[in-house]
Amino acid sequence: MNDVSRTDPQGGTNESTPEKQSYARRLADRPQLVLVAVLIALILVTGMVEPNYLSLTGLKNSLVWAIPIGILAAGQTILMLTGGIDLSIAMIATASAYIAANQSANGAVFAIVVGLLVGLIAGTLNGLGVGVFRVNALIMTMAMAGILLGLFTGWATTIFAGSTRMHDFVRTLGGGSFFDRKVPWAAVIWAGVAVLVILLLRKTGFGRNLYALGDNAVASRLSGIRAWQVLVVAYAISGILGSVAGLIVGGRVGSVDLQLVGFLLLPSVAAAVIGGTSIFGGVGTYTGTILGALILGVLQSLLTFLGAGQAVQQVLYGSIVIGLSWMYTRIASSQ
Amino acid sequence: MTATTSTVARQHRSTSLRRWVQRHGWTVGIWVLLFVLVAWYATLIPRFGGFQTATIISGGTAWIFLGIAQAVVVIAGGLDLGVGGLLVLTSVTAAQLMDGQPLGMVLVIAIGIVLAAAILNGFVGWIISVSKVPDIVVTLGSLYVYQGFALMVLPKVGGGTNGSFRWIFTGSENGIGANPWPSIVVIAIPVIIVAWWMGRTKSGLSLYAVGSDAPAAFLSGVRDTRTKVVSFAVAGVFAALAGFSSVSISGVGNPTTEGGNLTLNSVAAVVIGGVVLTGGIGSVIAVVPAALILFFFNPILSALGVDPNRAQVIQGILIVFVMMIAGLLEWRRMRRS
Repeated sequence: MNDVSRTDPQGGTNESTPEKQSYARRLADRPQLVLVAVLIALILVTGMVEPNYLSLTGLKNSLVWAIPIGILAAGQTILMLTGGIDLSIAMIATASAYIAANQSANGAVFAIVVGLLVGLIAGTLNGLGVGVFRVNALIMTMAMAGILLGLFTGWATTIFAGSTRMHDFVRTLGGGSFFDRKVPWAAVIWAGVAVLVILLLRKTGFGRNLYALGDNAVASRLSGIRAWQVLVVAYAISGILGSVAGLIVGGRVGSVDLQLVGFLLLPSVAAAVIGGTSIFGGVGTYTGTILGALILGVLQSLLTFLGAGQAVQQVLYGSIVIGLSWMYTRIASSQ
Repeated sequence: MTATTSTVARQHRSTSLRRWVQRHGWTVGIWVLLFVLVAWYATLIPRFGGFQTATIISGGTAWIFLGIAQAVVVIAGGLDLGVGGLLVLTSVTAAQLMDGQPLGMVLVIAIGIVLAAAILNGFVGWIISVSKVPDIVVTLGSLYVYQGFALMVLPKVGGGTNGSFRWIFTGSENGIGANPWPSIVVIAIPVIIVAWWMGRTKSGLSLYAVGSDAPAAFLSGVRDTRTKVVSFAVAGVFAALAGFSSVSISGVGNPTTEGGNLTLNSVAAVVIGGVVLTGGIGSVIAVVPAALILFFFNPILSALGVDPNRAQVIQGILIVFVMMIAGLLEWRRMRRS
């Protein structure tokens, strides 16, 4: 815990004196409180627009939106800590879902494993490009997205022609619920991912390496961190997280096509950024990202209830992303 | 005595040559690559003449303009993911307003759209500078906003523009190029103006100053907010020009075009053109052949009989490959110095 607080701004003002702390200053120490407040306010506003929203079903709808965003954003958070980004993560997700659906005749386990393998391979290649060959992360992952799209568009009519329907087990995982249809299975998966990612970032040496690398690449090299190894593993993890999200979205929709997850790419970056992860590396937590994903999920419900067309939705969505990150930057830097 | 001077002179000449190669080697290399590709393409297809040249150049116009829009922002140390969205917005606005208008009115509308795009994107730059939120995040938002506006202006594919206006950008009134010269002129004029501006004027050079070392630029009196706003406004102008060429080629506006993909192309063009993504290094001129090379892949690969999907794969691998070479060169230069 202590070791993390040194690298993130939330806990960065330990030397503050016991004399009266101003309200703004206390907020600056805990900018995530603001995110919680925004989340609650958004939920209440949505409840005012549509009173039925303030029920388990209504909130579940938002959660179902937030789950894939949150899992994809876990990948973005890990990479942003190193100063990178993954623009191929949505395409990796789509490709994984596509293969899993195609292989569903061979059983659920095989389909899932093959799906995760796609993320592992594509992610590792991204990591080799960025870590070993020093290709800019934006370019590397963008090119990877193009390569995957090209490959799968070609393969869709040749070696992967056939079923585009997900295996029933994956459909249950992605879209099913338990406890009288109250808790989605996907939420359990997200909770598992969240625990793993938070532990990874806080408790492991690898997590510290991620922060160190993004904070000061030269210093971390001098202190013996092998940057390329850290990067390859980080990108591979991001790829696998992409696959998990892809399987969940594919399971929820039921059948797959090559536009399945693409629309979640920008929200995944936005969730991490709204949650306070710096795109320049070294600063950020997954708890912040989770809040970011939840905010985006509620926002989606609000926009749907407002009955706004796609056009208005996009304008509001974009403005709110800018507004929230502006607010967060102001609060976090006011210390 | 004389021998020494001549050695010194020769040494001097060789270092200046090396410097020239270091400064312009990448640009020259990209132009050579383009001409090699064109020559290769000419041997691949049965007939290569004005029509093919016109098709390639007019088709590449939008890519070039969007690449330059991105280059101006990147040189100033930023990144604008919104340019693709702005292309979509300006093209559908043009298609909506210009439909059925005479040429004079169309030109007035075009000027209005260019100004509006400059102001809109300049405002985005202002937000970045004042809010201190990273470029990627704010322009991610502006990309959404532009695409939303585009859908509001024109809910579905439609609209149109004046034939003469299409001729200006494509060399033909129905968008299928016959004459490459109008496209060449329409590319050359803005490119020369912006290259002159960035290389010779105080406000243009301040983009390089801020891009290479923002604190130092600030301390030497360059106004950072103004530079940011100006670079984004210029990007807005070029995104609007890209929007016009896209309308001129297709003849209609399409609000469902994925602006994000267009942005990614522009980033790739900038990188292949030798502009360094961290800012301060590169020239807009080199972006012209880079964008044409990127655009040119599809006709070449289809002439080779390569499946378009595989073409996309090859293009992706090639971009990574070019970046690896650039990284290697950079690494060698770092080691030598």
